[in-house]
Amino acid sequence: MNDAASVVMLIVSLTLIKATPLIYAALAGVISERSGVINIGLEGMMVAGAFTAVAVSGPTGSVVLGIIAGIIAGALFGLFLGILATKFRVDQIVAGTGINLIAIGGAAFALVLVFGQPGASKEVPSLEGASWILIALAFASAAGLHGLLYYTPWGLRVRACGENPHAVAAAGLNPLRTRIIAVTIGGALAGLGGAYLSVGELNLYSDGMVAGRGFIALAAVIFGRWTPFGATGAAIFFGLFEALQFALQRSGIPNEAMQALPYIAALVALAGLTGRVRAPAADGVPY
Amino acid sequence: MAVDGVDLDLYAGEIHALVGENGAGKSTLANIAFGTVKPDAGTVQASGTIGLVHQHFELVGRLRVWQNILLGREPRRGLVIDAAGAKARVLQLASDNGLEIDPDAFVEDLPIGIQQRVELLRELQREPSVLLLDEPTAALAPAEIASFFTTITHLAERGTAIMIVTHKLQEVISYSVRTSVMRHGKIVGSMLTASTTLDDIAREMVGGEIPAVADRAPTTPRPCLSVRDFSAGSGSNRVTEVSFDVQGGEIVGVAGVEGNGQSPLADALAGVATYTGTLTISSSKKRPGVIPQDRHREALVMPWSIVENAILGRQHDPGVQKGALLDRKVARADAESIVERLDVRAASVDVPIKTLSGGNQQKVVVGRALLGEPDLVLAYQPTRGIDVGAAALVQSRLMEARNAGAAVLLVSFELDEILTLADRILVLYRGNIVGTFDRAEIDRAQIGRLMAGSK
Repeated sequence: MNDAASVVMLIVSLTLIKATPLIYAALAGVISERSGVINIGLEGMMVAGAFTAVAVSGPTGSVVLGIIAGIIAGALFGLFLGILATKFRVDQIVAGTGINLIAIGGAAFALVLVFGQPGASKEVPSLEGASWILIALAFASAAGLHGLLYYTPWGLRVRACGENPHAVAAAGLNPLRTRIIAVTIGGALAGLGGAYLSVGELNLYSDGMVAGRGFIALAAVIFGRWTPFGATGAAIFFGLFEALQFALQRSGIPNEAMQALPYIAALVALAGLTGRVRAPAADGVPY
Repeated sequence: MAVDGVDLDLYAGEIHALVGENGAGKSTLANIAFGTVKPDAGTVQASGTIGLVHQHFELVGRLRVWQNILLGREPRRGLVIDAAGAKARVLQLASDNGLEIDPDAFVEDLPIGIQQRVELLRELQREPSVLLLDEPTAALAPAEIASFFTTITHLAERGTAIMIVTHKLQEVISYSVRTSVMRHGKIVGSMLTASTTLDDIAREMVGGEIPAVADRAPTTPRPCLSVRDFSAGSGSNRVTEVSFDVQGGEIVGVAGVEGNGQSPLADALAGVATYTGTLTISSSKKRPGVIPQDRHREALVMPWSIVENAILGRQHDPGVQKGALLDRKVARADAESIVERLDVRAASVDVPIKTLSGGNQQKVVVGRALLGEPDLVLAYQPTRGIDVGAAALVQSRLMEARNAGAAVLLVSFELDEILTLADRILVLYRGNIVGTFDRAEIDRAQIGRLMAGSK
């Protein structure tokens, strides 16, 4: 009985831990796509956030500064994607993929510059026991984004941009600026999700540590029907499978199969949704 | 140059009609006046703000009516939108203008006529002194058109300067005070509407005489298309167990307001949608000639040349296909015959079709449908959005196909087109045929009533 209860507790807490970076990234995807920009670059923004947080936390000794730097790094990549996707009308899939490659390659290179070693950073000051703050903040962010999108004038503008940017222009507003700001905010959220991975859950950066979470978050956006709460729920669902992977490590199931669980869950969830969800009408369509 | 050296004055309290053929520069002029297009030279001055109601409404379907109308001007309470205040403001605005609207409805659920009302209200809440309307009645049913002009006339009476960009001359004559005619980017005539006639305006638009539609010749009917208990489509836009015949040597016109089952009927007859019931085609030809409703989406591949578009859908026909390859010579000969027969204005048959005007693109679609003299022609909105000259030419070719013995089914939302061409008229309302008229007994008013659903 006690054993069962502690296993459940373990799975719940692991789920929250594993879901948190996904929640941030999924919220980033929601705000970006509701404005009409598909954000394939979530993975790269998470990488940028994760690495920058470590690179600043190490030398300065301040994890708070590290996290802020991670948010800024993500936001800058968001701004970059936003400008490419609007002012320059670059194909959003190509631009996002480019951001992923730049961030992943750039972090691997900068590791050597900052820490003098490839593969992984040295250990840096991290949140340790205080990492629950970022977990709580993830849920608060979901509520905040919900309020922003559905109750404020700017949120209405974002949603209109994702459905028909021409209507926004007809109302005398600038849809390009709205999109750029939305994607930048998304970048900041994804950067925070990355920072949580490196200095919240762990205390170092290593190549490949984001491990496709940016893409799972994209699935969570769709699974959550482009709403903040829906995407959060989907992120928790995928986090659960990641947690199960740890909880069932000694169950005899091959480890590789267990590691594939979250990805399989994402695929199955998406396949089951085909034709039953509706993306914002102008999602991915340049204005 | 789309607009070239135009001088135009609009007066408060007047409805000014700006007419011209497609491509004459009317919409560009409206967009310059509104500010979305910057002129190379010249100025626009207004004693107040200018509003523009777009031809294709710029609305967000998945937002509510009040959200669309007040986008960018939402009343706030602190940081958030004051939704109750917003709805009240929209209701007030609507009643001030004698319009009825449900502020909470989602725009995508509303009929076209009401959607236009939303777009109109969005412009009106900025209290423009000048209101530009680009083809405002293009998507409206006859009843909606009348109520639309009531609103507009009322607005003008209260001191707004109104410009309607249109190609529907009957509306110009009925409702406008002044008329300006545009041709090739220039204003070629400006007049008081009362001192002119529809025919004069039409001649001014075309820059000469309006081409006549080919004469109707006597034919010998023979069975061609027979439809029995035919159902297709789903939801509100469907046809339910309709039965009719189209004989060789006659044009049967299907009249009705858009959305009463025309699309599922036409799609199922053309073989691109499923149906139940029986469909019998007595024809020696492999397939009917089909003119789809939307030339961009269903008929043409825009970056392709006229030659490539000419063989689209016929690529496996003997002649076009030689062994495993396409016979480019045959394709080119086909394209050239289309260009000649339909008077397509293009530099060569190798230019991408997107470089042609809408009228010339449509001529290619019609020409392709008539290649090989089909026994059955399905024409769905064959003159949609094209100029008077091109429309007369397309209508003449359909009439000639009929005179040569083809059975032509004409589905059109333009009642005038059906009245011009059809030997027999079926009125479609909510998926049922609610009236049938032979050419000798056509009663325009009665057809209009049936289209609107009354007896």
